[in-house]
Amino acid sequence: MNRFFWKARNSLAFKVIISTVILSLGVVWITGSALNSRLSSGIREVNLNSAIAEARSTIFTADYRFLLAQGEKDSIVQKVVDDVISSATTITSNENTREVVFVRSPGNTRAINYEIASNLLDPETIPESLSERVRKSDDIVWQYATMRYLQGVSVPGLAIGQKVQIPNAGQYEMYIVFSLSNEEKTLNLISTYLLIAGLILLLLITLITWVVVRQVVKPVREAARIATEFTSGDFRQRMKVYSQDEISTLGHAFNEMAESLEQQIARLENLSRVQQRFVSDVSHELRTPLTTLRMASEVIAASKESFDPTVARSSELLVAQLDRFERLLEDLLEVSRFDAEVAVLEAVDFDIVQLVNRCAEDLALVAKERKTEIFVKSAEPVIMIKADIRRVERILRNLLANAIDHAEEVQIDVQIAASERDVAIGVRDYGIGLDENSLTRVFDRFWRADPSRARIRGGTGLGLSIALEDARLHNGELEAWGRPGRGAHFVVTLPRKTWESIDQRLIALQPEDYTA
Amino acid sequence: MTLVMVVDDDQDLAEMLGIVLTGAGIDVDLVSRGDEVMDVFRNNPPDLVLLDVMLPGLDGIEVCKLIRAESMVPIVMLSAKGDTQDVVKGLEAGADDYMVKPFRHPSELIARIKTRLRRTNADVLGLLTIGDLAIDVQAHQILRAGKQIALTRLEFDLLVALAKEPGRVFTRDALLSEVWGYRHSTDTRLVNVHVQRLRSKIEHDAEHPEIVITIRGVGYKAGVMGGS
Repeated sequence: MNRFFWKARNSLAFKVIISTVILSLGVVWITGSALNSRLSSGIREVNLNSAIAEARSTIFTADYRFLLAQGEKDSIVQKVVDDVISSATTITSNENTREVVFVRSPGNTRAINYEIASNLLDPETIPESLSERVRKSDDIVWQYATMRYLQGVSVPGLAIGQKVQIPNAGQYEMYIVFSLSNEEKTLNLISTYLLIAGLILLLLITLITWVVVRQVVKPVREAARIATEFTSGDFRQRMKVYSQDEISTLGHAFNEMAESLEQQIARLENLSRVQQRFVSDVSHELRTPLTTLRMASEVIAASKESFDPTVARSSELLVAQLDRFERLLEDLLEVSRFDAEVAVLEAVDFDIVQLVNRCAEDLALVAKERKTEIFVKSAEPVIMIKADIRRVERILRNLLANAIDHAEEVQIDVQIAASERDVAIGVRDYGIGLDENSLTRVFDRFWRADPSRARIRGGTGLGLSIALEDARLHNGELEAWGRPGRGAHFVVTLPRKTWESIDQRLIALQPEDYTA
Repeated sequence: MTLVMVVDDDQDLAEMLGIVLTGAGIDVDLVSRGDEVMDVFRNNPPDLVLLDVMLPGLDGIEVCKLIRAESMVPIVMLSAKGDTQDVVKGLEAGADDYMVKPFRHPSELIARIKTRLRRTNADVLGLLTIGDLAIDVQAHQILRAGKQIALTRLEFDLLVALAKEPGRVFTRDALLSEVWGYRHSTDTRLVNVHVQRLRSKIEHDAEHPEIVITIRGVGYKAGVMGGS
């Protein structure tokens, strides 16, 4: 049953066939019934007319013969009655049987009784209502009635009656009863044939619909299949176009789209390759001189005690700025790797609690310089995850460094929570915070909350943007919350196995300590 | 005096490396082309090779394979690309360690070189056994049933580190600090690649190691052979 509904929902052919069958069932039913009723009423009318004509002539003949027998002896009259019955009834065939019934009219008290019914027909066959009408009328009167025989057989019939005068016996009602079993059979046969014809018609309609729908649906299915393969990466797939109809128009349009997509993709792939090579070249070309510079500056700085103060300070600045330049270069290269979508994950098993603690320890000195302190609180002592440790460490360092930069000499709370599937780390500071506008831009590259604010730590301005990309590369999410003057809260949620997706937020983005 | 061969096509960087190393009391041989390395190497065998990956003539990975074919001398690759493939290729070609340009400090480079040149485990005396191998630390020899197995210095150090504490499970970080002298590095590829290389030399069946055993999710430990 489920399969039926599934098909009904998902197969166009099935839907079309079902609705065609239902609609044509209605049409066939209506025409069939109309035809049936017209045919049967026509047949009935013809039969009725001929029966009435026959009955009229029979009764007239009987009446005439009774008239001729006026004044004869009772035995002669009896013979006339017998003759009338035998000539009016048929004994041979069961179909088209005619029976004759004589009934004494009420009030007839003569001694002789000619009441008779032919062939063991039960006189009760004649309905009382018909008898009444016969008594009142001078003409012949008819009514449909069920013929009951004394043997127990009963068939549908037509009773036609009129008053007659039998000599020396007074007034009688003479009835001719026609069997309609033949007519009934004919009518049954007609409706049976109509039913069969209707069913065959329905079957044929279904078949035709199926063939037609197949013609339409097959290329549509083919198109869907090709589109699916196209989507899954086989860009060489094309639809076959055989004719000039609407389906072939679809095919042409699809093929044009595929062609254009394939070109676009090839162009983008090429761009990406160029970009990748560029990144690699820049990396090599810039790093080698930077290495020389770094070493030279260190050698100079190592003997700064022998320089005069301005030169000594200059050498310090040189070292510091080379550091910053190098960080900027690394971040830029990383960003361009993300843009070229060539960043790869190298997942290993590690304990995230230990990593968070280590990052916090590494940054403890910097935090102390800025008169703040990092407190780490974990739900569990050890939380093993499988992720790219280098990237996770970078996310944590970026979040912590950002918090230290904006902590305003208040402590920083780091919270670690884990479920079966996910792990979340929240970094909460109580410093200058962020307004609505800043929240939407906080992950933008080179964006600063307050341009007039001095860049004390010399961050690259790419940290949070890279952290977000790193989190997303893990199928994770990095979100920010903040209120001006009330601090900020950054929450990173990662799946514990990096190829899975996160299914819940373990740490509420709006911190629990915050009340508006 | 210690001799370090510096192979780099960038004249300025090579000169700078020369200045820094000389300042640390190390003799330097400068080579600027990959295809010239082997001649210089054979004429004047160095104690350590500092090898850039991108070289004219012959690239650093190939040079590394050529040196390894002849010598167990420590090789430290210099790579301008931090990209994984280059690093892993270099390690698989036989490099002991690698440094990504630009180095944090010249002192870091010196420290790495000194770690690689140091006679490690000088504190361990006599004979160690691991599995069915006998290690003569002083003579720097590994013997299996009297036959010697040639290992690089780093592989030797790695094996000795595991062998001298047979019950201990070493995390990759612990091995990095013990063998490579890193205080904290997260690059565990270094350990993985070298363990694979070591296994290919000492295990009977590298697919089913019995001497250097992996403890899943933790690290490695020395295997105890049944009966020995």
